[in-house]
Formats: sequence, structure tokens, C-alpha cells
Amino acid sequence: MRNLFNFLLRYRAWIVFMVYVVISCALLFDRNPYQHHVYMTSASAVSGGVYDVANSVTGYFHLRSINDDLQRRNAQLESEVIALRSKVDALELDISADSMTVAEPLKEFDFILAPVINNSITHPYNFITISRGEADGVIPEMGVVDQNGVVGVVNVTGKNYSRIISLLNPDFRLSCKLKGSDVFGSLVWDGRNPREALLEELPKHTVFAPGDTIITSGYSAVFPEGIPVGTVRCNERNSDDNFFTLRVELLTDFSKLSTVRLVVSKNRDQIKAIETSATK
Amino acid sequence: MAKTVLQFTLLFIALVLAQVLVFNRLYLFETALPLAFIYFILRLPVTMSTIWVMTLSFVMGLTIDIFSDTAGMNALACTVLAVMRLPVLRLYFPREEDLTIPEPSMRSLGAGVYMKYAMSMSLLYCMLYFAIEAFSLFNPLTLVLRIFGSSVLTFIVIMCIDSLMNQRSEKRL
Repeated sequence: MRNLFNFLLRYRAWIVFMVYVVISCALLFDRNPYQHHVYMTSASAVSGGVYDVANSVTGYFHLRSINDDLQRRNAQLESEVIALRSKVDALELDISADSMTVAEPLKEFDFILAPVINNSITHPYNFITISRGEADGVIPEMGVVDQNGVVGVVNVTGKNYSRIISLLNPDFRLSCKLKGSDVFGSLVWDGRNPREALLEELPKHTVFAPGDTIITSGYSAVFPEGIPVGTVRCNERNSDDNFFTLRVELLTDFSKLSTVRLVVSKNRDQIKAIETSATK
Repeated sequence: MAKTVLQFTLLFIALVLAQVLVFNRLYLFETALPLAFIYFILRLPVTMSTIWVMTLSFVMGLTIDIFSDTAGMNALACTVLAVMRLPVLRLYFPREEDLTIPEPSMRSLGAGVYMKYAMSMSLLYCMLYFAIEAFSLFNPLTLVLRIFGSSVLTFIVIMCIDSLMNQRSEKRL
């Protein structure tokens, strides 16, 4: 017994060192971001609070360019509204009102506005913190978009803060398709450039050209169909693969996020229930 | 004693805030990241027991990890850095018992030795940090560039913090 005590006493520094290394490694190699506890992430009350205070100052920095983005988007939407209105007017003349059905996929979705208080683009696994939490109705696996395109998906929620897995995180794969066709692939970040990502597993028969728009496929309850994601830059691999891998220029500028919108899917519970019952 | 504890507590809080609010956003050319919070580990008294140095360093790293969502990376690198601290110091200053002031500083070690010590520690920390980061994302050229860019920038920022600290203590005297 005394030998044991002597041993522990003599090597106590090494034992403490090993304990710390083991704790660090446990944190480091726990690669499931959905299981992180809220206290160990930037969504905890203390770190969220600190970022919130800092953001009340730094939040003004990029307003000019964000304003430009919004103006552009606004102009685009306005012209779309005008075009649609004239189309509706024309259709209303043709079809009697009671037999007309309008498909509106966005009717099933609502949005929560959330200020970004912390954001990184330089780590291999990037996360974003927002100052909205469970108290505001945020739940994990909500889709996140901004005025330009897709941003990420909520993964840890605290009372007043939540953490989002950024699109710039290899743990997050997004089902996307080419605008105008129904072939879909999976978008993932390769960790190199915060302005680009890869669209993988696209069937070999796909026809595309650089500059084509990539949109969300809508094959999940997370994002509505048709949210813009990026534009095709080039074909990444020309090997004998059975699939295309495209390099995609992202529309969202992750270095200048300020306010994001969380997608609230009204049919989410139903879709989830169907999906889980189907796999049983 | 109580005064030293208070000083180091304030230094800890100030460095964490500076790191997460300013330095983490300063990623020059996506290669040079100033990891200046290790200044806290550099300045811990040499008379402090290794266990305490490791504990404080681990807590420092973990705090930075929580703020920047880098789960365990800084905590692991800080713990290893804490163990390597005295051996690195002994490379340039063989008998740390000769120090009149227990904290390594410009005044107690002399400018040359202190700068060599700070540079070595910055390089060591950046090597540890980016090597751990490379577990998840390996790209040799980026790795080397990041290690050198970041250690130089870390060293420069540490020297800036140091000169700020010195100004304050001179005024107090």
C-alpha cells in the first residue's frame, strides 16, 4: 500500500499530465458534433454573452456591403414580383378562380431572424454562434440561410444562444441539384477555400456548364427546395469515376455574415415521423 | 502572493478576451494566426510546481477551445507546452534558480534570452497546434506555411503585449 502511495506521489506530475492529455483527446476525437454538450461550445451562456456584447460593436462593420447585397436581392425580387404579377393577371383571365391551384412550397416554411455573434472560416471544422436559442423556438437541425444562400444547420441549442454547423464544415453534407434539372448530388466543403465547395456524386450523364446555378434539392425537411447555394466553376476530376465532382463557388460570403434566417419547417414533425417509421 | 494571483487572474481574462475577440479574427492571408494567449503560460513563475502550471495551462486552453469551438485542440497543445516550458527555458538560461524575480520577463532574463525563449515557445506551440489540426485535415505545404507564419506573428504579438505590460509596471514604480 505504501509502495502504491510512493509511486503515486513520485509520478504525480506525470499522472496529472496523462489525465489532461486523455481529457483533451476525448474532446478532440469526439467527432459527432450533434452530441457536444452546450457548455463545451460557444453557445454556452458565458461565451455567448461575451460574443453578444462584442457583436454589439463589430456588428456594424460590414453593413455597407450587406446593404448592397440586400439592395441587389431586393431589386431581383421586385422584378420577379412584377413578372409574376403580370403572369398571374394573364392566367386569371384564362382560368376561372375556383379551379386554380397554386403550388407554393414555401408556404410550409417560416423564418426566424437571428444575429450572428461569432463565426469562423479558418478552422478545418467551422461553426457559427447566433444569439437566438430555445427560448426563441430554435431547435437542432433547423436549416440556416442568409440573403445570398445557404449558411448551415443548427446543431447545439442553449437557452439564449445556439451553434450552427457552417457549410464550411466537412461534417455537413447538403443535398443539392442543378437548377433546371432534377439530377442531385451532395455538397461538401473540402477545407481549402472558404469561397468554394465540392458537389459530389453527380451522375455521369449530367449536362452542365460553368456558371450554372446550384440550388437545394428539398429532399429533406431542413431546407425548402430551390434555395440558391452556388455556381459551377469547373469539373474537379476527369478520371474514370462513375460520378462527376464539381467545384462550386459559394454564393454566401461567410466572412461577412451578420443576420441569418432559420428555416422553420411546419411539416417537419410529420416528415420525421414518416422517415423514422419507414426505417423501423 | 495575493497580488500575484490577482495579476495573473486579470492577465488570464484579458488574454482570453483578446484572443477570442481580436486575434482569432486576424488570420492573415489564411496562414498566420496569432496564438498570443500562450503569453500567460510564458509568464507563470518558474518556482511554480509543474502540476499547477499544467492545470492552469489546461484551463487556459480549454477556455479558448470553448470560445472558438475547437474541442480539445488548444487544451492538448497547452498541456504539452506547459511540460516543455522549463526544458525550453533551460536551453538559454541553464539555472533558473538564479532568477531574482521568479517570473520570466525581459527584466529578469535579459532581452536576448527572453526573446529567444518567447520565439521558441511560439514556434513550439504553433507546431503542436497545427500538427493537432492536421489530424483532421492534412496538407503538407499549408501546414508548414501556417506553422512558420503563425509562430512569427505570435512572437510579434507577444512582444507587443510584453511592451504594454512593461510600460504599466514602470509607471507603477
